[in-house]
Amino acid sequence: MRATLALIRYQLALLVRSQRWLAPLLLYAGLLAVGVRAGQPLLDSLGLAAAALLPSAAWLVRGCVTAEPPAARHCAAAAAGAWRVHLAGVAAGGVAALLFGCAGVGLVAATSAPRSTDGSVAVPLLPAVGAGLCGMLACVLTGAAVGALGNRPLVRSRGYAVAATLLGSVAALALGASPANAAVTGLVRGSAQGAVQVPWVPSLCAVALAGLAAAAACAVATRRE
Amino acid sequence: MIWCVRLEDVGRRYRVGGPWVLRGVDLDVRAGTLLRVEGGNGTGKSTLLRLLAGIDAPSAGRVRGRPRTRGYVPERFPAALPLPALGYLTHLGRVRGLGRRAAAREGAAWLERLGAGQYAATRMRELSKGSAQKVAVAQALVGGPELLLLDEAWTGLDQDARTVLDGVVRERVAAGGAVVFVDHDPARLAGAPHVIVRVAAGGRVAAEVPAGARRPAMTRIEALGAPGAGVPEGLPTGARPRLTPYGELSLTLPAPASDAALRVLLAARPGWHVRSVRPLGEWETDEGNDEGSAG
Repeated sequence: MRATLALIRYQLALLVRSQRWLAPLLLYAGLLAVGVRAGQPLLDSLGLAAAALLPSAAWLVRGCVTAEPPAARHCAAAAAGAWRVHLAGVAAGGVAALLFGCAGVGLVAATSAPRSTDGSVAVPLLPAVGAGLCGMLACVLTGAAVGALGNRPLVRSRGYAVAATLLGSVAALALGASPANAAVTGLVRGSAQGAVQVPWVPSLCAVALAGLAAAAACAVATRRE
Repeated sequence: MIWCVRLEDVGRRYRVGGPWVLRGVDLDVRAGTLLRVEGGNGTGKSTLLRLLAGIDAPSAGRVRGRPRTRGYVPERFPAALPLPALGYLTHLGRVRGLGRRAAAREGAAWLERLGAGQYAATRMRELSKGSAQKVAVAQALVGGPELLLLDEAWTGLDQDARTVLDGVVRERVAAGGAVVFVDHDPARLAGAPHVIVRVAAGGRVAAEVPAGARRPAMTRIEALGAPGAGVPEGLPTGARPRLTPYGELSLTLPAPASDAALRVLLAARPGWHVRSVRPLGEWETDEGNDEGSAG
């Protein structure tokens, strides 16, 4: 556990200093700028903010698991085991995405109108923010799962990996079976009805999905190179 | 701590149906030993080191008993990392379980010893090739890993740093660690390796003990006599006794002679109380009682 935490710190230091966080942040900020307007219904905007984070989360995970040149990765793998190095990369990407998401939820909560979609019903602010955070978590974890499954060591060629991450993100938002889709739908439906629905089930499903995806990627990381 | 990495019928190939890089490898790497891996280009020396390090997994067979802490120096270390040298070493030290300060202190000490102390704050991508190699060596040493794997680690180092690394390898082995190295210089650490591992084309591996390192199986007998007692008469030739003034006798002798020595001890008057009889580990030292006769 201690070694894993130290590796996550190392991966975050690499992420911060390599500026690989910048492009995913710009993507997230751009999607928020296009989709969220001050004074719009709160839950709608929270749903959009959560959905907009998913591709950024996948991109951040990609940035982290490809941050080290192979030689440096081998050195870290000798020190702690290849699977742990990979797990730390996925986790560091997820942590960075969560930080973006918290900032996004805070921004949306501060600027949106706490009303239902048609404006007829008041929406309580704190429960709505709680539901927004829960939905955001579901999207971050689903995005991290996409990033873990769509990049090395499972997809090793750069071109296929970028395509897999991109298409995977779109699929994770569009397909009804995806926890991210369920969480966003729940927030938007809540906005229409003027009732806060905390997306617990999608979040728990996303935890399981991210866990399985990370386990698969880490298992392969110990087998290849 | 005594450990032994054991490769059991290990094979490695990089794709299903592809050629075997290593095949049918049975090899033990014991604590306290130095192994040199030899073989032509592309014979799988680096693969063997990576399997031992746990960076790579075998396609067939299994690797057991790796010690918890391992250090690996790759043959090329393109340090395109956006961290300063000491920052990187601190992270690696913490991964091996050191605290932040201890990791930074140890990292700085290794850089200093390798002659790269002035680059501690330099970003790694700005380092020269040789300085980057010093960082690569230092990262494998912070936290004092029990098993050290050096893949041509000397290449690119200046002469002073090479000498330092030679010394470090000997220190690590003497302290009970194991070091496995590949180097194109046949004179590297000449005479020091306990085992030479030869990797042949086709991935077959043969381990041999060089003539200089071989010695007969030894036994250590420890016994307690009356204070001030002298070394008993009639011990087998080849027995090396060491006696303290308190009557504690430590006897190192070739294993086949141990029965005769015990008979002498038990028959002596005043008698000796035998405390322990144990085989001496293959590479265990004679605790300074060696006098160069172990070969």
